Amino acid sequence: MTDKELSPEESIPFFPDHVKTEFFVVLGIMAVVLIIAIAGLIKPVGVGEPADPLNTPLHVKPEWYFLSLYQILKKIPPMVLGIQGKVIGVVIPILLVALIFIWPFLDNKPDKSRRIYWIRLAFAIFAVVAIIALTIWGEVS
Amino acid sequence: MRSFSMKRFGLLAMLVIALGLLVFITTHARANTPGTGSMNEAASPNWSLAEAGLSAPVLAITPPPAAQEPCLSCHILGQNKGLWTPIARWALFGGLGLVFIFGVYRSANTWVTRSPWKSFTSRAAGWVDERYKISEPLTKILKKPVPKYALHWWYCLGGITAFLFVVQGITGILLAFYYKPTPEAAYSSIQYIETQVYLGSAIRAIHHWCANGMIVMCVAHMLRVFIMGAYKRPRELNWLSGVLLLILTLVFGFTGYLLPWDQRAFWATTVGSEIAGAIPAIGNLALVFLRVGWNVTGETLSRFYGLHVIVVPLATVAFMGAHFIMIRRQGIAKPL
Repeated sequence: MTDKELSPEESIPFFPDHVKTEFFVVLGIMAVVLIIAIAGLIKPVGVGEPADPLNTPLHVKPEWYFLSLYQILKKIPPMVLGIQGKVIGVVIPILLVALIFIWPFLDNKPDKSRRIYWIRLAFAIFAVVAIIALTIWGEVS
Repeated sequence: MRSFSMKRFGLLAMLVIALGLLVFITTHARANTPGTGSMNEAASPNWSLAEAGLSAPVLAITPPPAAQEPCLSCHILGQNKGLWTPIARWALFGGLGLVFIFGVYRSANTWVTRSPWKSFTSRAAGWVDERYKISEPLTKILKKPVPKYALHWWYCLGGITAFLFVVQGITGILLAFYYKPTPEAAYSSIQYIETQVYLGSAIRAIHHWCANGMIVMCVAHMLRVFIMGAYKRPRELNWLSGVLLLILTLVFGFTGYLLPWDQRAFWATTVGSEIAGAIPAIGNLALVFLRVGWNVTGETLSRFYGLHVIVVPLATVAFMGAHFIMIRRQGIAKPL
């Protein structure tokens, strides 16, 4: 453990102070959940047509959180450098997840200043915008 | 060990009298209550016979027992007033009776022992602490200092994710009561939940939208940790377990999407498992594991249901426990 013990001035006790703030956060979420429940009573989520294995619909779309990956997969040409495009489209996301997975071991130097926060923030915004763009592209195409 | 004393006997006697009174009052009240469901009485032939005066002494006819079969659809549709009435009655009369007994016992006890009353909660806490010695570690856990910088709003994203997981668990259990994971019944059971089950569409809406919210919150929490560099030494394993939790959340989404068994679900799963089948080396194994065969069938639905309801929740709970214990041990990362 690298962090030093906290002094009473810069900390609050977990119970009851911190639990109280968390309780208010939970109350806020419960309010949102209640609104969702009322909305669900007025307009249910609903189901589409029953599944029919013999009838393929024109547009098959995954849930929105897989849509960006699906869009990458769709836009890769069928053959790239003698490898099937499908295989590349599957391997790239797996490598990305593997990179995210081992990231703490690649970027293991302690931060020196707050400047690094802004660099990482810019990178995160870039990634999020790219994912959102791909998702919207996948949604409209 | 103290010997038998008159004072204790008096206390015991008062308790027995109070209990007896309570039982008498409640049973008496029940005997006088007209049978629930007036419809059943009207339908009974014995009653009409008695009312018409066709039978000899009216008092000799014992009233028919109340219909034994409860209205099952009433329970599901929320029109089951008759099921809750006895519970409400017992809670009201029983609660009042307990308050009465407690008052008698407390007055008698303070008078007999000539000492101030010790509350039941402190007695129970003392009883447990005397045996298991939990007071000291519990105080240590509860009084652990939380740094003030952890009160910024962006520190609550992970907690919101955890709370949404609890919401998903509760609403998921409620949906599982009525959902049927077979290709013949799945679709109609979803329709049944949405149209017939009391508050069913609200529960399904919460489960549907909180699933999306959980993924958003998961990613937001991950971005917060990434931007602030909170994954660095000594918190590498927190990051690893967190990434695994994000993957598990996505598996939740993928497996749950098939369960309504409509066209979107069926073909999204067909394409999704086909993509998994394109992974080099393990592709075919992944495809067969997901589909239980070479095509999406009822077996796939059972497999996804089992994964969604048992396997993935257990794994998520395990990794969440590890995640929380590690946070607790190391404290919240200090920003620069």
